[in-house]
Amino acid sequence: MRKLIALTLIQLTFLAACGGGGYVSGGGGGPPPPSQNIAPPGPPNVETITVDSGPNGVSAVNTAYVSVQVCAPGSTTLCQTIDHIEVDTGSTGLRILAGAINGTTLSLSQLPQETDGTAGTVLTECLPFVDGSSYGSLRLVDITLPVSMKTASNVVVQVIGDPAYPVPDGSVTGQSACPPPAENTVTAFGANGILGVGPFAQDCGSLCATTGVAGTYYSCTSTTTCADSTAGIMQQLQNPATLFTSDNNGVIVELPPVGAAGAATVTGSLVFGIGTQSNNALGSAVVLQEDAFTGEITATYKGAAYPRGFIDSGSNGNFFTDSSLTQCTTDIGFYCPASSVSESATLQGTTGTMLSADFSVANAEVLFSNLSYTAFNNVGGTNPTMQAFDLGLPFFFGRNMFTAIENASAGGYMGPYFAY
Amino acid sequence: MKLTGALLSSIVLTAAVATPAFAALGGDSTTVQADVARMKGALRITSSAGVTVHEITTSYGTVVREYLTPGDKVFAVSWHGPVNPDLRQMLGDHYTQYEQAASVPHPGGHRHLAIEQPGLVVQVSGRVRAFVGRAWVPGLVPQNFSVNDIN
Repeated sequence: MRKLIALTLIQLTFLAACGGGGYVSGGGGGPPPPSQNIAPPGPPNVETITVDSGPNGVSAVNTAYVSVQVCAPGSTTLCQTIDHIEVDTGSTGLRILAGAINGTTLSLSQLPQETDGTAGTVLTECLPFVDGSSYGSLRLVDITLPVSMKTASNVVVQVIGDPAYPVPDGSVTGQSACPPPAENTVTAFGANGILGVGPFAQDCGSLCATTGVAGTYYSCTSTTTCADSTAGIMQQLQNPATLFTSDNNGVIVELPPVGAAGAATVTGSLVFGIGTQSNNALGSAVVLQEDAFTGEITATYKGAAYPRGFIDSGSNGNFFTDSSLTQCTTDIGFYCPASSVSESATLQGTTGTMLSADFSVANAEVLFSNLSYTAFNNVGGTNPTMQAFDLGLPFFFGRNMFTAIENASAGGYMGPYFAY
Repeated sequence: MKLTGALLSSIVLTAAVATPAFAALGGDSTTVQADVARMKGALRITSSAGVTVHEITTSYGTVVREYLTPGDKVFAVSWHGPVNPDLRQMLGDHYTQYEQAASVPHPGGHRHLAIEQPGLVVQVSGRVRAFVGRAWVPGLVPQNFSVNDIN
């Protein structure tokens, strides 16, 4: 383990000296092929992504992280740079775990809460997942992405697990439950926060602004008196990538390839903007327009159509249905073929554009048995939903993956779209 | 950024203050009526081969279907929409099984969850704006009914 860390540092130094972009350690992945050009991190628009085991207490696999500096609005001293913020192209908004705020250079109490316009009435939010939800207060911060130096002021962020706000259980008048299990600690959540840079400009959109959606936004007259609430478009969590003064129409996740056995860590780039700089041109990438409401595309795999397809850095495997693949017996839900299998799906956007998606599936139990490796391009698992086809972070390795934001013109096309 | 007084008064979500205990999955059609009331939804009823399907569309666009046996028992539920419905309500007495399985590390993390136990199957996927899921009690599924038709 120590030897691997030392190796990582040596490689980092070497590659930094070469001005290179992404690199892989411990996996023998080799340099990216000439077709993949990874933008070197730095101003004006490239942040460093790290794929590793996550914050202390977390054993993450296939999870991409960045660091984000958050400051009390207007302050240059009440600040903290928080590492291990997950890069998620499948959600929207910046969310920070209360447990990741250090309480020394920055305290929760220094971050003003978002009000609903009435003195003393503040907004909170529940972020639902399929396996629980995360709840907390909404607060205003200034953010700086510390490598690219992208900044945005008075950004509404969710502070997940704010200790002052107990999770709504539906027992208060007008209150829907924020459904358990709660994922309100760093270990339960798997990161110190999440940077949602998906295809939407707001996390909920017009539904939350008009009729309201049960169990999402709440207005609170006290910490324990929170009722279901609407939240105006601009009150909602915004896609951070839209808040910069430039390079604000989408992102590119650029991760180098990894070898078949995986890699200990991977470093790549999160590029802001599409077609706005010399380093973020769409180039030969093919655009797959997404459904404007759900963000989904169609996948065809082995003759069957999957209308709920998506490409998502927040999924740690490729999750799809294939009854011919042997399932694992210990890591139930993952695939464990005797030897690696090459697979291909055809992705189709709403305008009919098609793109081949090639990936491989190896024995997940064998891959995971190397506990010092955290990045694998060949982890596959079953998808519980018949119509769904989810290409997760494994599919990102070795590709520059574009995610363009709704209603934004990006490289000559309107978002939302995926492209690679 | 600040909300106007007008917007505040437009808040329309008001859950029932006190609702009777009920169980959708495993319950009877009276629990469906409770769900309609609680979700403030519109109800549509269809019937095929003895199985009755109650479809509830919530005000926020999530469509919930509850499948009833000829003997008036809810043997399956399904849903799709921007958020999941209240699963405590949908799964009723089976909710504890769901919560325990959801609490342990599983493939798919935040995006996918599959539970397959003798008394309960739950399959759910998605993200905010696009969730889809279904659940059934194997022992209650009518003999001539294929679970592929729970959708």
